[in-house]
Amino acid sequence: MIDFTFTEEQEMFRKAARDFAENQLAPRIAEMEKTGEVNMEVVKALGEAEMMALTIPEAYDGLGLGYTARLIALEEIARVSVATAMMLQVFALGIEPIVQFGNEEQKKKYLPGLAKGDRLATCAVTEPTGGSDPAAGRTIYKKDGDEYIINGRKCFITNSHIADTITVFAKDAENPKAFTTFIVEKGMQGFKPTHVEHKVGMRGCNTGELSFENCRVPRENIIGVEGKGLRVAMSAIGDVGRGGMVGCSLGLHTACLEEAIKFANERILYGKPIIKLQTIQNKIAEMKIDLEAGRLLGYRAASTQDKGQRSSNEFAVAKYYTTEAAQRAAKMSADIHGGYGCMEEFAVTRYLRDSFVLGPSAGTSDIMKVIVARWAIS
Amino acid sequence: MLNIVVCVKAVPEPKEAGKIRIDPATGNLMRSDVPLVLNPLDKNAMEAALGLKRNMDAHVTVISMGPPAAGDIVKECLALGADRGILLSDRAFGGADAFATAYTLARGIEKTGAFDVVFCGMSSSDGATEWVGPEMATFLNVPVVTMVNKIVEFDGSLWKVKAKVENGYRLMQVKLPAVFTVTIDLNTPKTLSFSGIIKARKKEIIQWTALDLGVGEESLGLKGSPTIVADMEAMESKREATIITGTREEKAQMLLQKLVGAGVVS
Amino acid sequence: MKNARGPVWVIAEQIDCRILDVSLQLIGQARKLAKQLGSDIEVILLGNKIEHQAGQLFAAGAGIIYLGNNPELTFYQPEAYTEIIVTLARKKQPDIMLMGSTPMGKELAPLIAARLETGLTAHCIDLLINDNNILEQKIPAYGGLISIICPEKRPQMATIAKGVFPEPAMDNSRTGEIIPLDVPDNLPGRIKTLEVVQQEPEGVQLESASIVVAGGAGAGDREGWNEISDLAKTLNAALGCTRPAVDEGWAELDTMIGQSGKMIAPELYIGVGLSGEQQHMVGSVGAEIMVAINNDPRASVFEQVDYGIIDDCREFIPVLIDTIKEYQGKKVSC
Repeated sequence: MIDFTFTEEQEMFRKAARDFAENQLAPRIAEMEKTGEVNMEVVKALGEAEMMALTIPEAYDGLGLGYTARLIALEEIARVSVATAMMLQVFALGIEPIVQFGNEEQKKKYLPGLAKGDRLATCAVTEPTGGSDPAAGRTIYKKDGDEYIINGRKCFITNSHIADTITVFAKDAENPKAFTTFIVEKGMQGFKPTHVEHKVGMRGCNTGELSFENCRVPRENIIGVEGKGLRVAMSAIGDVGRGGMVGCSLGLHTACLEEAIKFANERILYGKPIIKLQTIQNKIAEMKIDLEAGRLLGYRAASTQDKGQRSSNEFAVAKYYTTEAAQRAAKMSADIHGGYGCMEEFAVTRYLRDSFVLGPSAGTSDIMKVIVARWAIS
Repeated sequence: MLNIVVCVKAVPEPKEAGKIRIDPATGNLMRSDVPLVLNPLDKNAMEAALGLKRNMDAHVTVISMGPPAAGDIVKECLALGADRGILLSDRAFGGADAFATAYTLARGIEKTGAFDVVFCGMSSSDGATEWVGPEMATFLNVPVVTMVNKIVEFDGSLWKVKAKVENGYRLMQVKLPAVFTVTIDLNTPKTLSFSGIIKARKKEIIQWTALDLGVGEESLGLKGSPTIVADMEAMESKREATIITGTREEKAQMLLQKLVGAGVVS
Repeated sequence: MKNARGPVWVIAEQIDCRILDVSLQLIGQARKLAKQLGSDIEVILLGNKIEHQAGQLFAAGAGIIYLGNNPELTFYQPEAYTEIIVTLARKKQPDIMLMGSTPMGKELAPLIAARLETGLTAHCIDLLINDNNILEQKIPAYGGLISIICPEKRPQMATIAKGVFPEPAMDNSRTGEIIPLDVPDNLPGRIKTLEVVQQEPEGVQLESASIVVAGGAGAGDREGWNEISDLAKTLNAALGCTRPAVDEGWAELDTMIGQSGKMIAPELYIGVGLSGEQQHMVGSVGAEIMVAINNDPRASVFEQVDYGIIDDCREFIPVLIDTIKEYQGKKVSC
């Protein structure tokens, strides 16, 4: 019926991603935590390891791998650094609309650079009016000859200050029911990143605001059809965004479980390691069961996406489950650490802080439930 | 074109290898589910070959003698950049000591055709006799340098390499074809890349048995091994540890006290 | 009729005309084996301007010395050394051949064994003659001890590290026959040692130090390693390591203690952040007092030492260093 095993090639992808994460990312975490800023050596290393090229077609210098390979890579990277996994997953949010809806000129112009990591992407949908309600956004565009003038503000945008290729979602100033997705490039007049957010977790991943003040964008930069941009934007934050959060969550969850077991093996109380105590084993079992379930949900959704089938609902379920489970796992792991669970030098406290950022990214848990309810009822 | 062969071995993951122990009750090995990985020093051997391939016209064949599961590490070497993979696998190869292993590998290398250079790790993390490289070279009738930590000249067929000696090196001049066993200092192995894994899809792994090598059973495996294991016994420690407890400061004080008392610290 | 069994051979090694300690130690052990077998003990030494070294070999117990004394043999030359020994072995049919587990020995021994199509064992920590007059070669493995034998092929060959066997009782009055060896003139000429460059090692040497601090994977990173190094400096101890530390690049292969490295027997051994892997511990069991510091209470090292401290070495070592410095300070001021 169903084969739940990974192929030999997928196991090699996992090994390559794990080796990359342990060799290139682990040594740089302390600095990322300290400054909260993106480490450009990390970005360079990601590019050299072909991590941005995974889902870009081979015709445009990508690796042409599917979403299962992407999930494997994100999972392994998140296990070492959720901040880096988040940054990487959001690159894909900017890339996906071009891959799915871009015309040949756009693909040739942007994708090769994005694959190499010479160009960095992001996607700008969320506004102060809410990301959960994109149609209520107030960023507007007005046609002016062969150009479009964009005005507005986007917030909570990951990679805001490092991206140079941004897919921006805006509403037609004259028709509130029409939306268009544009490619805006760093340096375009009227566009600039403004405020930098200081997140409590995922430090080393840049989040901030983008400002558009009479930003002029040429007609060639429209992705897809003018006025039909909602579909384009959703393709990004839908499956790809949710899938990315699944990867971040599974990796973090694995790290929480591994740290908990390691600590419980070393901590002696009543003359023996606390891992022998039933109450500790209870927590470990819960973490393990959640992880097993989350992995199956995530890889099922990715596998559906790889087949070219609709997978938004499956990803909504997986995103909800894995982000919530990772938050529970981080708390349980911290509890197992006892007093050490509030000391900064212990990795579990970083996991706790990172877990807070999982929930609201790429759609809140409440929004996921709306989608899942709709699926169940239909 | 430079024809390079790299000999690799699948070994139990070194970080978990301590789990494989002799059962004090039976005197036999207690097997454990320790995964097989590429012998760490073989990564340096692979990088030596791939480094040359990046800079000149070269063909890299990777060869390994082992159980069918060793095929995974041959695949991994193809993903790292080798052009062709060969797995020598046959029940008849089982139980081989270094002599029989070297003999089998030598026959396998001969079957691949003409070669210029053979690289292998200087030792494997399990076993670690360091004999296979030199014995293989003898069976192939070519010179060998062990513990190579720098390749100084490699143009043409006369190479100069440095090999490690105590607190220094010896500089060797070698006429190819030759065997080189390498140390961890020779290079920094590159990690697996996704594109390398994709390229490996088109590369083939050939499996050869004793029949394919055309070698009689008396030269292979246990039968072809001059040495055998006569006995295994678990070792008992002659010491019983006193675990010192207390706060960190107390433990340090107590330890120092004991050592001063024993006269080993003054 | 004389014993049909061949002699016990030791291939001695010299560097800069100085005989290595391991060679003398092996001659000492070979004497014991030869006595049990009722065989002769013969030593081969190759080099240049080494005529004066023969006395030392006789004093250690050699009965006959085969001496290859020639400018062409100044450095270890793989072809010449192998050919000389193989040719002589085919003539004299030794029963046992022993060599030090040195960089030369580890290359030369397998070259000879492959040519003679015989067995060769590595990392022996003991050699015995069993009831069948066969050499039992003991090596540590899998947490225990395995006995290797070479039942049929001859010679039975083994390499042994310095420090496994004790210094032999030297008797300067002993003497014997010296048989000269020629350099063969039919060598293939495909490999040549051009030069050997060695420096004086720095710091306290492992094999002679009275205190040795050994660090392992538990150091965590270079910062942690530096702390362990500081502990060694504070105690004026030699700093050794396990294989993981070499793999991580914190320490040199020359300072690795164990089966494939150095055998030590200091007064005090302190193992920091190492799990007690047999390959390492077998190199340090000669110590008088052994201490281990490790944060894993289940680590097997705690079954092999006299004193154990269960703690994160990165936290404990600085405290230990302070405690020792305080003590040293008090002593000076008294």
